[in-house]
Amino acid sequence: MAQPANVGELLSMLDSPTLGVRNDVTAVFKENLYSDRGPMLVNTLVDYYLETNSQPVLHILTTLQEPHDKHLLDKINEYVGKAATRLSILLLLGHVVRLQPSWKHKLSQAPLLPTLLKCLKMDTDVVVLTTGVLVLITMLPMIPQSGKQHLLDFFDIFGRLSSWCLKKPGHVTEIYLVHLHASVYALFHRLYGMYPCNFVSFLRSHYSMKENLETFEEVVKPMMEHVRIHPELVTGSKDHELDPRRWKKLETHDVVIECAKISLDPTEASYEDGYSVSQPLCTRFPHRPADITTSPYVDTQNSYGNATSTPYSTSRPMLFSTPGQLAHSLSFPSTRPLPEPPQATLWSPSVVCGMTTPPTSPGNVLPDLSHPYSKVFGTTGGKGTPLGTPATSPPPAPLCHSDDYMHISLPQVAATHPRKEERTESTRPCLHRQPHLPNDRGLEELASTKGSVTLSDLPGFLGNLALEEDSIEKDKEEAAISKELSEITTAEAEPVVPRGGFDSPFYRDSLSGSQRKTHSAASGTQGSSANPEPLHSSLDKLGPDTPKQAFTPIDLPCGRADTSLAGDRDRQTSLETNILTPSPCKIPPRTGVDFGSGKPPPYDHLFEVALPKTACHFVSKKTEELLKKAKGNPEEDSTPSTSPVEVLDRLIQQGADAHSKELSKLSLPSKSVDWTHFGGSPPSDEIRTLRDQLLLLHNQLLYERFKRQQHALRNRRLLRKVIRAAALEEHNAAMKDQLKLQEKDIQIWKMSLQKEQARYSQLQEQRDTMVTHLHSQIRQLQHDREEFYNQSQELQTKLEDCRNMIAELRVELKKANNKVCHTELLLSQVSQKLSNSESVQQQMEFLNRQLLVLGEVNELYLEQLQNKHSDTTKEVEMMKAAYRKELEKNRSHVLQQNQRLDTSQKRILELESHLAKKDHLLLEQKKYLEDVKAQARGQLQAAESRYEAQKRITQVFELEILDLYSKLEKDGLLQKLQEEKAEAAEAAEERLDCCNDGCLDSTEGHNEEASGHNGETKTPRPGGTRGSSGGRGAAGGGSSNSSSELSTPEKPPSQRAGPFSRREATMGEPSPGIPTVGSLPSSKSFLGMRARELFRNKSESQCDEDGTATCSLSESLKTELGKDSGVEAKTSLNLDGPHPSPPSLDSVGQLRIMDYNEAHHEHS
Amino acid sequence: MTEDSQRNFRSVYYEKMGFRGVEEKKSLEILLKDDPLGILPPHHESHAQVMMYRKDQYCDVLHALKVIRFISDATPQVEVYLRMYQLESGKLPRSPSFPLEPEDEVFLAIAKAMEEMVKDSVDCYWIIRCFVNQLNNKYRDSLPQLPKALEQYLNLEDSRLLNHLKSCSAVSKLPYDLWFKRCFAGCLPESSLQRVWDKVVSGSCKILVFVAVEILLTFKLKVMALNSAEKITKFLENIPRDSSDAVVSKAIDLWHKHCGTPVHSA
Repeated sequence: MAQPANVGELLSMLDSPTLGVRNDVTAVFKENLYSDRGPMLVNTLVDYYLETNSQPVLHILTTLQEPHDKHLLDKINEYVGKAATRLSILLLLGHVVRLQPSWKHKLSQAPLLPTLLKCLKMDTDVVVLTTGVLVLITMLPMIPQSGKQHLLDFFDIFGRLSSWCLKKPGHVTEIYLVHLHASVYALFHRLYGMYPCNFVSFLRSHYSMKENLETFEEVVKPMMEHVRIHPELVTGSKDHELDPRRWKKLETHDVVIECAKISLDPTEASYEDGYSVSQPLCTRFPHRPADITTSPYVDTQNSYGNATSTPYSTSRPMLFSTPGQLAHSLSFPSTRPLPEPPQATLWSPSVVCGMTTPPTSPGNVLPDLSHPYSKVFGTTGGKGTPLGTPATSPPPAPLCHSDDYMHISLPQVAATHPRKEERTESTRPCLHRQPHLPNDRGLEELASTKGSVTLSDLPGFLGNLALEEDSIEKDKEEAAISKELSEITTAEAEPVVPRGGFDSPFYRDSLSGSQRKTHSAASGTQGSSANPEPLHSSLDKLGPDTPKQAFTPIDLPCGRADTSLAGDRDRQTSLETNILTPSPCKIPPRTGVDFGSGKPPPYDHLFEVALPKTACHFVSKKTEELLKKAKGNPEEDSTPSTSPVEVLDRLIQQGADAHSKELSKLSLPSKSVDWTHFGGSPPSDEIRTLRDQLLLLHNQLLYERFKRQQHALRNRRLLRKVIRAAALEEHNAAMKDQLKLQEKDIQIWKMSLQKEQARYSQLQEQRDTMVTHLHSQIRQLQHDREEFYNQSQELQTKLEDCRNMIAELRVELKKANNKVCHTELLLSQVSQKLSNSESVQQQMEFLNRQLLVLGEVNELYLEQLQNKHSDTTKEVEMMKAAYRKELEKNRSHVLQQNQRLDTSQKRILELESHLAKKDHLLLEQKKYLEDVKAQARGQLQAAESRYEAQKRITQVFELEILDLYSKLEKDGLLQKLQEEKAEAAEAAEERLDCCNDGCLDSTEGHNEEASGHNGETKTPRPGGTRGSSGGRGAAGGGSSNSSSELSTPEKPPSQRAGPFSRREATMGEPSPGIPTVGSLPSSKSFLGMRARELFRNKSESQCDEDGTATCSLSESLKTELGKDSGVEAKTSLNLDGPHPSPPSLDSVGQLRIMDYNEAHHEHS
Repeated sequence: MTEDSQRNFRSVYYEKMGFRGVEEKKSLEILLKDDPLGILPPHHESHAQVMMYRKDQYCDVLHALKVIRFISDATPQVEVYLRMYQLESGKLPRSPSFPLEPEDEVFLAIAKAMEEMVKDSVDCYWIIRCFVNQLNNKYRDSLPQLPKALEQYLNLEDSRLLNHLKSCSAVSKLPYDLWFKRCFAGCLPESSLQRVWDKVVSGSCKILVFVAVEILLTFKLKVMALNSAEKITKFLENIPRDSSDAVVSKAIDLWHKHCGTPVHSA
């Protein structure tokens, strides 16, 4: 913390002349500021600065860091409010703002801004206003978003100040108005560039009012002529302009450049990005050259350039060289201006004015130079007032009237009323000769810079440039790139020539002829002190644009002098037609005039000799007039008025010229003396005015410097882009080279491929021929083979034939063999026959012999016979006959026998067949028998079944009968018992009858007959059947049979006996039932006894056996037979012996059977 | 087979007729000799005589029964048949009022069915008589085996149904008397019954099993729905008659399936 006293000391120490102390103190302050956050120190510093204008303090204040900005702004705000300190504090603010502190964005929020605006609206001091406006203009790009709040304020200020320019309220010095006008002009540009829609709508509303109409006509409209239509007017809107997003991506310098882009004012405009191509060229170029040609002011410039060769000339190319720049915007020469900003820092208005720095040595100045200067001042003074423009108010300058300068004053007129003046004041013949100083200078600069920076020097420049870059890394990169570029440029200097050159007027020149080019170049370099060599080099650059004329640079130095004059006039006339066209080629007339003006270049004197000044003037005027007539003033309409900036520039220069001139004339050391000497008694406020003016100029300069810095920033960026583009181009070139190499490779490969293909085709052909050859061989061989095959076929057929023949022969052979065999056989047979015949012959012989012998014998016998009797023959004959007969007999007998045999055989056959028939018959018979048997069996079975049925029926009937009997007997039981006691036998007979009667009921005839007979004879048969109960002795034999018959069918009765007996049992007591059968004879009789015994036995022992029972029964019978024999003598007599008591036995048997059955049934 | 058929195209026809081989004469003879019931001998010549005998026998028996007043004109024909049969077989009870034996009931049922089939009373009587005799003699041993066979085939055809029956313990309570002793007399309508009895007469009592199986299968849903053996039995004793024809057809198919051709099963 610095104590107040301490601070004061330190502040005083700040201004100490010792550099070290000053630095130390500055460091101390900065340290304090760093540690202290309070406003006090800043306030103190501001106060101190206002008091002393101390530069170190200013330095400290402008480099204040973040926390102090508020204090500073507060302090400034405070002082801005006070009228006394307003100017100085505005200057301070300008310093601060121009350095673009890091906290610049806070400006829009700070209370300072409204205060400043209010001040600008209220204040009446032109100096303050101008300063404030410039500060505001500087601030606007930094705080574009503030427009939303203060836009109307800005516009109000513009409206107020623009009207000021015209109305000149109060006692404002007119020279101030020039400055004010310039600043208003700048404000106009800024506002129009940043907020076109709003601004235009403001203009529309504000200047539609009648009271403002004049201001518009006089001030605003000329300004508007220096701007193009803003694109935002088409695409944007009022709201869009104020949108913070729009400004976010733009930096301060971007905004500045944006504003500059829409300017048509060559001093303001920036031609980037194609804005420049169409309009500027068409509108500005046509008139500029003409102006230059006719303008004597060129002399001034030339002389000025020659005399000073100050950085001033080089500090402007950014603006002035633009027409040329345009052409080279993308090429390397376009980087030319960049090295110069550093130099610009050295420049100061004082230098221009020649106030502080010593004037250039007169030795440098050409003799003619002083002359134009005087002219300038003279004209400004003379012409300014009648026009009524601010520019026409000349400062108290020496009045050196010259005809030449008369015209020079015209630009000021044009600045306000460009064409109107011309129309109304036709008396001014040279109106059209508006000296476009900047343009002229631009050309001049163009030439000079071209001379200074040649292509060969470019790498060096680039290197320097790279060194100046902030970023070291980038520096390195770009240095590398630039080195590369240098190599490339040195290697291939010609092709890298700017493309833009085609568009440039120079390019036209180069096309139209080398001479013209030389003229233009010469005219461009007239005023410059540069040597012809750089110029040539620059021309060299241009030349290569058209590769056809690549030789022209060589011709230029020599041909320039020789041909230029000769062809000048012709060209002028011939090119007038060209001038009529809107093409930018207007240089030739200028060159001619330039030559005529007789200018410093070393070879100028030649022109002067060849073409006198007057002639030159005459010619130029004539051409101008002709031009005007031909054009019908088209270019004047399009020509914009001189901008206030130019007016200001001119004013300054005039002032400087006047000053230096006076100085040189009078060589007076002091100003006061000057003034007294000049105008006698100088006005009291003259000095103050001058100071103010100086101040204003300073402000203006600072503003311009600010702009320049912005441009520099932008240029650096552009350069970077350019370098990058160049690098990319190089890369492209390298790639192209590679491509070429590769294409070459491809070519080589293609060649080799073709070779290979050729070889291949050759080989193919060879192969084909081989193949065809082989094919033919194959065909030949095949043919041969076929032939052979045919031969073999033939041979085979032959072989076949031979085989056939052989087979045939074999067959024949066989046949022959057969024949041979046959013949052999025949032979053997024949031989056998032969032998036989031989033997036969022998036999014959033998027989013959025998015959002979026999014959002899016969003869002998004959003889003997003859000798004997002839009866022997009869006997023999008889015998023969007998034999014959016998033979015949035998034969017939044999025949008979044979016949008999046949018949017997036939008979046998017959018999055999008969036998077979018989057998068959027998079989059939057997079968039939079987059939019959079966049939009979069937019938028999049927009959049997019938019989069975009959038997069943009979049984049923019997049962029924028995049943009935039982019923009957039951009824007549007692009666019978009594009867039986009397005559048992009779009763038995009766019962038999009764039984027979019962039988009659059921059965047919047999039983009836049987019952009918009833006798002893009949009892054995049918009577026996029914004589079951026959207890009679007489019928005993028959009854035994019947009993046996009856006893055999045991089961059926027993089965029925079951239920029957049961029925009996159910009916009543069994005991009485049994007696009905069992005790049928009598209870006292033997049978009854036996029955009782049996029943008792049965009841006692139920399981007695049949056999034993019968045995015992028979035994008992036998034993008792003897007893009863006597008793029943009659019965035994009637019956057979062995059957004494069949009825009893029968009844007993039946009873027993029944009993047994009953028992059996019970068992089952 | 193809060769066989090529050799004699009639073989199919022969098989249809029940000839086993192509030696049709022999087969025919065998067939002709066959006397399934024994009512008439195979010999046609004796037919008239035998038939006369049969008729006489019938008349005799009928007369005898009438004589002993066992039957009257009012006696139903079926009972007449029964009495005649009883008489012929010596089983005639002493009185008509005696209660009937179970076998008599069987006879009555069969007779009733047969009466529907045969118009002539003599024929009818003889057929009934021989049919019953066949059942009693020829099939005396095989009839008791049929329930087991039924179980076996039912298991093959539908084991679930058998399981259900077993679970209801209805297997032993099925109407075997109705099915196998009466040969479905009174269970199936005569038209269907005829076809079954044809097989039975021809010598296959197994057809009865298949008819029973088929009845169970046909009324499976119903049987499955019933849970008690009594209900099942009751239902089976009174099965609806309308589907009997289909049942019999299916049963014959089943019989063919399980026992092959009728010749084989015979």
